[in-house]
Amino acid sequence: MRQRSLVILTSVLTTGALTLTACGSRDSGSKSDSSSTTLTIGVDAPLSGENSTTGLGIQYGVQIAVDDANKNNWVPGVKFKIKALDDKAQPATGQSNATAFTGQKDVVGAVGPLNSGVAQSMQQVFASANMVEISPSNTNPALTQGKDWATSKTRPYKTYFRTATTDALQGAFAADYAYNGLKKKKAFVVDDKQTYGAGLAGIFNSAFKKLGGSIAGTDHVNTGDTDFSSLVTKIKNSGADLLYYGGQYDESEKITKQLKGAGVKIPLFGGDGMFATTYIQTAGKAAEGDLATSVGVPADTLPAAKQFIATYKAKGYKGDYGAYGAYAYDAATAIIKAVKAVKDANGDKLPASNDLRSKVVDAVQKSDFEGISGKVAFDEYGDTTNKQLTVYQVANGAWKAVKTGTFNGS
Amino acid sequence: MSGIGPVESVDSPELDGSYDVIGGDAPRLTDRWHALPPRARRAALAAGAVAVVAAGAVLLPPHPRADPAPPVPWPANVTEWRYVGLAQTTDSPTTTGYFRFAVTVDGGPPVAVRVIGAAFDGLTAQAVPEPSFTVRVGATRRITVQISVSDCSGLPLNADLAFLDVTLRNTRAIQHHSFIFGSNYSKDLSQLLHRACDTTKARPGPRPSGSAGSQNVDLS
Repeated sequence: MRQRSLVILTSVLTTGALTLTACGSRDSGSKSDSSSTTLTIGVDAPLSGENSTTGLGIQYGVQIAVDDANKNNWVPGVKFKIKALDDKAQPATGQSNATAFTGQKDVVGAVGPLNSGVAQSMQQVFASANMVEISPSNTNPALTQGKDWATSKTRPYKTYFRTATTDALQGAFAADYAYNGLKKKKAFVVDDKQTYGAGLAGIFNSAFKKLGGSIAGTDHVNTGDTDFSSLVTKIKNSGADLLYYGGQYDESEKITKQLKGAGVKIPLFGGDGMFATTYIQTAGKAAEGDLATSVGVPADTLPAAKQFIATYKAKGYKGDYGAYGAYAYDAATAIIKAVKAVKDANGDKLPASNDLRSKVVDAVQKSDFEGISGKVAFDEYGDTTNKQLTVYQVANGAWKAVKTGTFNGS
Repeated sequence: MSGIGPVESVDSPELDGSYDVIGGDAPRLTDRWHALPPRARRAALAAGAVAVVAAGAVLLPPHPRADPAPPVPWPANVTEWRYVGLAQTTDSPTTTGYFRFAVTVDGGPPVAVRVIGAAFDGLTAQAVPEPSFTVRVGATRRITVQISVSDCSGLPLNADLAFLDVTLRNTRAIQHHSFIFGSNYSKDLSQLLHRACDTTKARPGPRPSGSAGSQNVDLS
């Protein structure tokens, strides 16, 4: 009897101790890791040199999405990794990067590029391989709606999508704010002769005139130029009350500095290509009062983006997430969710590589989820259905949102 | 060792720290336990239970807490506007048009809406009959906006991507926001502008607050 009591008492205490010990170690790990498949998501953007501030924001936006997918086991049995290639903002380099992605069997889709002109050279390569390509930043309307987009929309490639809205809206939104918001009536319009910059400047030019404004003059610059003294003289002599620039921050940050340095105190207004912290850092006080439109609403008004921003900062990633980081995250997430949809529909197995790629294209087309930048879905052209825009203005050395807008074409 | 205290006298020759308590036949813990009066045993058991519970509270991982309530969304991120068409009116003046919209709020608390302009200085816009209205989450409210031409000078008669400027307010923020509509609204607005400005010289009127200088005001 005594022995029996002793056994019971000791068993109770021992079991309790073992239970506490077991509960204290939660990190048991997944035994199925060894049998998982790893798929690669390609990233193409300028990662060095011109435009790399925003390009790196795209790369690390995708990296955080992939890390989240792996950590949270978004697709059971499938792990993801990224392969980032630098296109140096050059169409030919972008094209060879696209060829590299499509030639690597484990690449299931790609995010990028940054530049619309680079995208033009990549679209056909991805289409031939039936591989999905989602740009978080291309805004030229022709990429999704064809070269005659203004009169007759036709989708050129079913493999191309974007999470950024188009310059058709961005240019008109900027023109409205310049004319009705800033009360500017005489604009000088400059572009960098690139697909994105020339297209955006042209749309602004047309929209500003339709509103009743006049164009004091137009001119072009070359990417990589650093001396804009002759341009500054033309603008000064034109009597313009606003300079609109279609292009990237690399040139506009120098133009505004030289413009203000010459005593021409008119604001420089541009598109998402110059919405970067680098613009303010380089231009300094000359940037005060300058403006830029960008796609989407300010990231700090999106609760879901807060964790993304915190992670980006905590990791110490280079580049600027502000313009496209959240859209790159959502683009990568669309590919990852498409992989899951394909796997689920295929008896919980991944199809063979080529079949997987083409089915992922179809699944991305059906995307419908709440991303960190808002709702993620695509229309019949591959354009995002999230058509929000924001005007930012430099105030006290930082970009500040001054107006937001939403397009509803119905 | 079980680690529950000395079970042998400290001077026992057998105390080498290697044997097991279980199965021992010398007077040990159980003998002492049964020698205790019932009241003392109950007190000891109660103390032991308290100790186990206390240890569990310290060592066990915390129970998953209910997720905190999601933050209140910014009103512009949950409010949708859709152009429905021209309102049926019989006696509107040539300088005034009535436009119907459907307003939906997808999440968060109710959103109070006020129409403040139609982008151009020569136009005034307001919701009628009440200039301000509230839309609750999940509901779609159909409203009528009266747009009047007050000054034809500087107005583009063929409106393209026409805007409606509003303020949106919920418990999170007040935002000035533009809703931009497609060809149907632009076409109907252009008809009003042509009707007002092709045949009449509209009188100058009060300037709408327009879209300038809008800011997001964080209330939280």
